[in-house]
Amino acid sequence: MRMRKVLAVLLSTAMMTGLLSGCGSKTEEAAAPAAATTEAEAPAEEAAPASEGDVEITWMFWDDLEATEDLMSQQYAETIKRFNEADNGYHVNVITTNLEEYDTKLNALIAAGQAPDVWICNPGPNMTQYVEADVVMDLTDVLAKDTAWNDSFTGGIFERLTYDGKIMGVPTNFAAACVFYNTEIFEEVGVSTPTTWTEFMDVCQKIQDAGYSPLSISAGTPWCLSMVAGYLCDREGGPDNLKGVADGSVKWTDPSYVNAANKLVELSKYFQPTYLGDSNDQATANFYNGEAAMLIQGSWAISQINGNAPEMQDKCGVFQFPGVEGGSDPNRWIVKTDNLLVSKNTKNVDACIALLKEFTGETAQKATAEIAGKMPIIDVEVDYSKAPKQLSYVQDIMKTLTGTFGFYNESLASVEAGDKFDNTMVSIVMGDITPEDGLADIQKFYEENVYNK
Amino acid sequence: MEKLFRDKKAICLFIAPGGILFTIILLVPIAYAVYISLCEWNALTPPQFVGFANYIKLFTNDDIMKTAIKNSLFFTTFSLVTQQVIGLFLAVILSNLVKGKNLFKNIYYLPCVLSSAALGLLFSFLLNPKMGLNQILAIFGIQGPLWLMDAKGFIPLPMWVIGTVATWQYVGTTMMLYMAAIAGIPSSLYEASYIDGANKWQAFKNITMPLIKPMAKTTISLTCIGSLKFFDLIYNMTQGGPNHKTDVLATHLYNEGFQYFKYGYASAISVVLLAMCLFVTFIINRSIKVEDYEM
Repeated sequence: MRMRKVLAVLLSTAMMTGLLSGCGSKTEEAAAPAAATTEAEAPAEEAAPASEGDVEITWMFWDDLEATEDLMSQQYAETIKRFNEADNGYHVNVITTNLEEYDTKLNALIAAGQAPDVWICNPGPNMTQYVEADVVMDLTDVLAKDTAWNDSFTGGIFERLTYDGKIMGVPTNFAAACVFYNTEIFEEVGVSTPTTWTEFMDVCQKIQDAGYSPLSISAGTPWCLSMVAGYLCDREGGPDNLKGVADGSVKWTDPSYVNAANKLVELSKYFQPTYLGDSNDQATANFYNGEAAMLIQGSWAISQINGNAPEMQDKCGVFQFPGVEGGSDPNRWIVKTDNLLVSKNTKNVDACIALLKEFTGETAQKATAEIAGKMPIIDVEVDYSKAPKQLSYVQDIMKTLTGTFGFYNESLASVEAGDKFDNTMVSIVMGDITPEDGLADIQKFYEENVYNK
Repeated sequence: MEKLFRDKKAICLFIAPGGILFTIILLVPIAYAVYISLCEWNALTPPQFVGFANYIKLFTNDDIMKTAIKNSLFFTTFSLVTQQVIGLFLAVILSNLVKGKNLFKNIYYLPCVLSSAALGLLFSFLLNPKMGLNQILAIFGIQGPLWLMDAKGFIPLPMWVIGTVATWQYVGTTMMLYMAAIAGIPSSLYEASYIDGANKWQAFKNITMPLIKPMAKTTISLTCIGSLKFFDLIYNMTQGGPNHKTDVLATHLYNEGFQYFKYGYASAISVVLLAMCLFVTFIINRSIKVEDYEM
């Protein structure tokens, strides 16, 4: 009997040890991938390890700097490399993640009190939530003191980064949304670039009669469609439309929005047949494969078009989104900047500012235009013979620009309000809901979630 | 040994590891989620207690929630019917096969071991209008529907499509469980029934059916709970689109939590989901009476 008890105790001890050792190996396993990720998270480190005594800061980015094929992300990687190799006493470690998980991961870090020193951010409600949570450093004073840096920026570039007169971020590049067209198809059909809505509809009809899809667009990626909707809303009602819905002085059900939605439905006759299922990439491919005559996209599509179909560079023209008769100013453009925010709690302000300056400096900005095909945010001499041809067309037609506005979904009250707008526009175009009902739905959302707050 | 199991201390000692683990990784998070569901919280600022505001909004003023509940219930019913019928049918056929039983068992079970994320992507490519099925239909001059984008009707087409894919993926599990139950029925019972003049159908109805009832209870519960909290295929095939028409409870929760950072509201959805799962399990346990047979 005693023997049995001893045996039982021995056995249980063995089991417990097994259990514990099991735990041990598990922790090791768990720790190993974590270490691997840290390595992957800091590719720049390998190229130029931090020298002793260097002040180290972190920068969070929404693409993998090592594996990326995106020309702009590659330029970000170059800038980081340059910054780390320079003998400036600073070293930046990069935290990368894919775009889909970026916001979630960043928010988790900030919530845990481990905010990166500098991070990249979209303008609009996305940025607003960080400003409102009081985790972003006010850069107004830094810019005011450093007049040389402040003056290098293009005028008005801080407009959407300013909250209560305080500049909360610094842009790194900007893109503008316009209409790309296939010059060969336009010549074949015998049409020229339209400037008014009537002309635009006429051009679309003629191209359709000639057997091409007039316009390639993606409703599968809702913001692509909502970008066109945003243009129409602004062409109908001008800047007052956005301001009005924000403070409640304009209703979503007002005639200018209804007209815009009706025009969107009218335009949808000319979309490629598969627009509902096509993703953004597929819609862009329809254009550079020559199946569709026009593509309404941001200027970031230039590198995508030229990268996939180099011959397109010679037959791709650009015109600005047409105005509507009886509407507002037709020379306003949708633009979007990528921005850097600095953490309010950073211990190394100087290092962060030095990094911002590297990104907004002449070398980085020249490369932004000449290699990545995006627009620089400082007044820098760009050699357009090196840059993609379409970029100079865009710069040319932007000379008549009178004002800019953001993507509608990024200019509304919240990320959710932006999604509401995107999704409603898709539903309206699909015929799932009438323009009037769809807009009434957005108005209801605003009354419940925005004005009542 | 028996004495050991009567010792209260020993019982506590042996239950403790499981109990502690269960509490830490399940009970505490659930309790915390219930607390968060009573707050407004975006993870950046401290949670603000708002009482039942999230629940009130959820049930009185959230159209997407209505769609999500409708779709989740449809999905559960659809999966339940198809998986029970097809799963049992396959199990009975395979159990009676003499040759190739293992081969077919593996074939039917294979989709179940594949990653749902990969399957979701695979089917979204197959059903994409630019590639796959519609291109094949186009050869015959048929214009295929927009399998994953058509939003018309009370239950839109994508829900039927995803339901079918889910059935294809999970019917193997139901089949395996039923096969195990059928294998546990002694063959002497069948032999006796055949001697008494029963045919195959009568043997199935009067022997197989009653004896696999306990397994039916298990599979029905598993299917219902699995379908209610279903997420991966929907997320990978439609992301709940177009315009939330194919949202289910889990995708609605994901959007509210991880797209809009409304963690309080998302927690409220998760509590509703938990309550629905508990309710369904309760109903199933109550309505299916299992009798013990001496075999």
